[in-house]
Amino acid sequence: MRLSDNIKCSLVSWITKISIWKFFLLLLAVSFVIFLVQSVLPVFSDSHDLHRLAGEELALNGRGKIPSCVSCHGLQGQGDAKIASPRLAGLHPSYIKKQLEDYARDPLKTRAFVEPIARDYVKTPRTYGDLTVFTPGTRYDPKMNGLAKLLSAEDRHNLAIYYSKLAFVASPKAYDFETLERGEDLALRGKPEYGLPSCDSCHGPGGQGFGAIFPPLAGQPVTYIIAQINKWQAGKRDNDHLALMRNIADQLTDGDKVNVAAYYDNLSYSVNSE
Amino acid sequence: MKRILLKWVFIFSFYHVAVLPVAAQELGQTLDSLEVRPSLVNSRLSLPTQLTQVHVISPGEYFAPPLVADIPDDRFGDMVRMGRNIFIKTGVYAKRYAGNGLNCSSCHLQEGRKPHGIPLWAAYGRYPMYRHKTRTVVTLEERIQDCFIYSMNGIAPTLDAPEMKALVTYTKWLSKGAPVGVDLPGRGLPNISRTQDLDPKRGKIVYETRCELCHGKDGKGQKHTNGEGYMFPPLWGRDSYNKGSGLQRVRTLAKFIKGNMPLGASFSLTNQESLDVAIYIWLQDRPRNPKMSQAMDFFFPNMAR
Ligand code: HEC
Ligand code: HEC
Ligand code: HEC
Ligand code: HEC
Repeated sequence: MRLSDNIKCSLVSWITKISIWKFFLLLLAVSFVIFLVQSVLPVFSDSHDLHRLAGEELALNGRGKIPSCVSCHGLQGQGDAKIASPRLAGLHPSYIKKQLEDYARDPLKTRAFVEPIARDYVKTPRTYGDLTVFTPGTRYDPKMNGLAKLLSAEDRHNLAIYYSKLAFVASPKAYDFETLERGEDLALRGKPEYGLPSCDSCHGPGGQGFGAIFPPLAGQPVTYIIAQINKWQAGKRDNDHLALMRNIADQLTDGDKVNVAAYYDNLSYSVNSE
Repeated sequence: MKRILLKWVFIFSFYHVAVLPVAAQELGQTLDSLEVRPSLVNSRLSLPTQLTQVHVISPGEYFAPPLVADIPDDRFGDMVRMGRNIFIKTGVYAKRYAGNGLNCSSCHLQEGRKPHGIPLWAAYGRYPMYRHKTRTVVTLEERIQDCFIYSMNGIAPTLDAPEMKALVTYTKWLSKGAPVGVDLPGRGLPNISRTQDLDPKRGKIVYETRCELCHGKDGKGQKHTNGEGYMFPPLWGRDSYNKGSGLQRVRTLAKFIKGNMPLGASFSLTNQESLDVAIYIWLQDRPRNPKMSQAMDFFFPNMAR
């Protein structure tokens, strides 16, 4: 009580004593100093860097039973088309983290079973219920499942930050004209007469990804893109928000997958590099 | 007394220098944990017994417009290309006429091609036609002017403006082979009926579970990463359509949502859910109807027209 009174009195008497201009000048000077110090501060205490370095260590060398990520995802995190392993460099950190969490989740615990789509799915009426809307969030893959279970939350965080900061430059490959033309039509316009939106309307212009939820398609190996769509159709991947991608994958034919993957492989694209 | 003052200056600057940046960094760095994923936190809206059967489209059911790759390489083709550019990037190619962040293709989905997404190919053969809104017979050009004034919250290009010619040319090219004077299947928006009274509270839940992911927490949409135009268009606020637009009618908006939203899952909401979320969107603030006076807008903010 006494202390606060004291402060109040002194402040009031002081403000009345000096002119208002001097007061503003002082305020200006103080905020300038704050600004200066603030702009220098991050250089000294960057915890971001610590996470990144820890992630790098784990990615390059592995730890205990955890194999190094580079053996499958490439030294620069550029992916490997031969084993359908995706590029990780430059993906959004939250996206990487979410995928690792989904790999580690036990499918039985979510108590949900996703029925694979029927072979002649064009003729099968799709039924939307709650299970298709509120996704359980599991992703099945023999290589990644066991590995992801060994990672701690801290590891996932570090790895996510490390890979999101890596630079990547795509090397566009040549395809025949017809494939590219069909792929482009699907990527930019979808199939309106079937109500299928374009890939770019979610995956960003040029398939470069948008935010934490929509991953990039440009720069992903062709085999990986096709494999993922197959997994959605077979019910082995069911971790997308609001089943957004599942609705799309259910409607793609085998030709569509090849065309659209080729189109994205043909685009030039770079991330994190000047 | 000086000492006390100094103390406060010190505390103030310490807070700014040491506490705020660290807190901000922490915030920026924390990654979403699984529990904040909208698909998992929110309670279920309906029992699994209330299923919606989605109509599966068989080949040839709807009119298929020509491919963009087939635009002819002549003067006519140039006009078509210009019209298409205006249609999908209105803010860039018709900047002086557009008043908000939308494009024509935000509502006329997939470049004006999607059945039940107000497709252009179904509109071309219907005009000139009688409209209740104006109580006159309107031509296609006049209909497009209306979309500029209300849906784009801008100014209408004159009937002989190059932009208008380009848009009409694009519409004509899209409807190559479509019959004239008949209502094609997939025209305009789908029909829906209501069974219960509308409830914006239920609509808010639908919005938060099914739409927020793309259209944003505040309904203001999400801009492209390079800051130009919208990736996901705003549903309300300064950059959205104004109160004179067709979508400001709850029923029309509900029809639009039923037939087109969430993106890629058309017809997945029930009629009631679309109407609820439509009235929730209707209640939000947006630019006023340019044909209505300021005072009317102030006293009756939600009167459509
Ligand atoms: C044995 C080879 C192998 C190793 C080692 C490996 N991965 Fe993978 N990873 C894969 C394959 C194959 C896929 C594609 C899985 C699928 O089809 O779902 C994948 C997918 C992923 C994805 C999903 C990417 C996306 O775009 O959705 C992430 C994230 C990932 N791995 C991270 C890691 C990390 C971090 C490590 C190191 C701790 C690692 N991986 C080690 C083979 C491997
Ligand atoms: C309605 C929005 C939407 C549309 C349209 C869409 N996608 Fe997706 N897609 C998603 C989302 C969301 C994810 C991320 C899923 C997750 O979080 O695991 C995704 C993920 C993917 C992945 C896996 C990427 C990775 O790194 O693991 C592929 C491949 C893919 N989409 C291909 C396509 C193709 C091809 C098309 C066009 C035919 C398309 N998508 C259209 C929403 C969409
Ligand atoms: C905010 C959403 C919105 C935007 C943006 C928009 N429109 Fe529309 N448009 C509508 C609605 C709603 C209708 C009426 C549909 C109905 O009542 O069936 C409509 C109707 C039309 C029609 C007549 C369709 C028919 O079947 O009768 C044409 C042509 C049209 N718009 C052209 C345009 C053009 C060109 C632009 C860009 C300058 C544009 N619209 C922008 C919402 C929009
Ligand atoms: C996958 C992302 C996504 C989801 C989820 C989604 N929308 Fe959209 N919405 C879009 C995109 C993209 C457009 C613009 C159309 C285009 O570019 O193809 C749009 C356009 C609209 C429009 C017309 C344009 C405008 O700004 O007014 C309305 C209205 C709308 N959405 C309402 C909804 C409602 C209501 C929901 C929830 C039931 C919803 N959307 C869910 C992506 C989405």
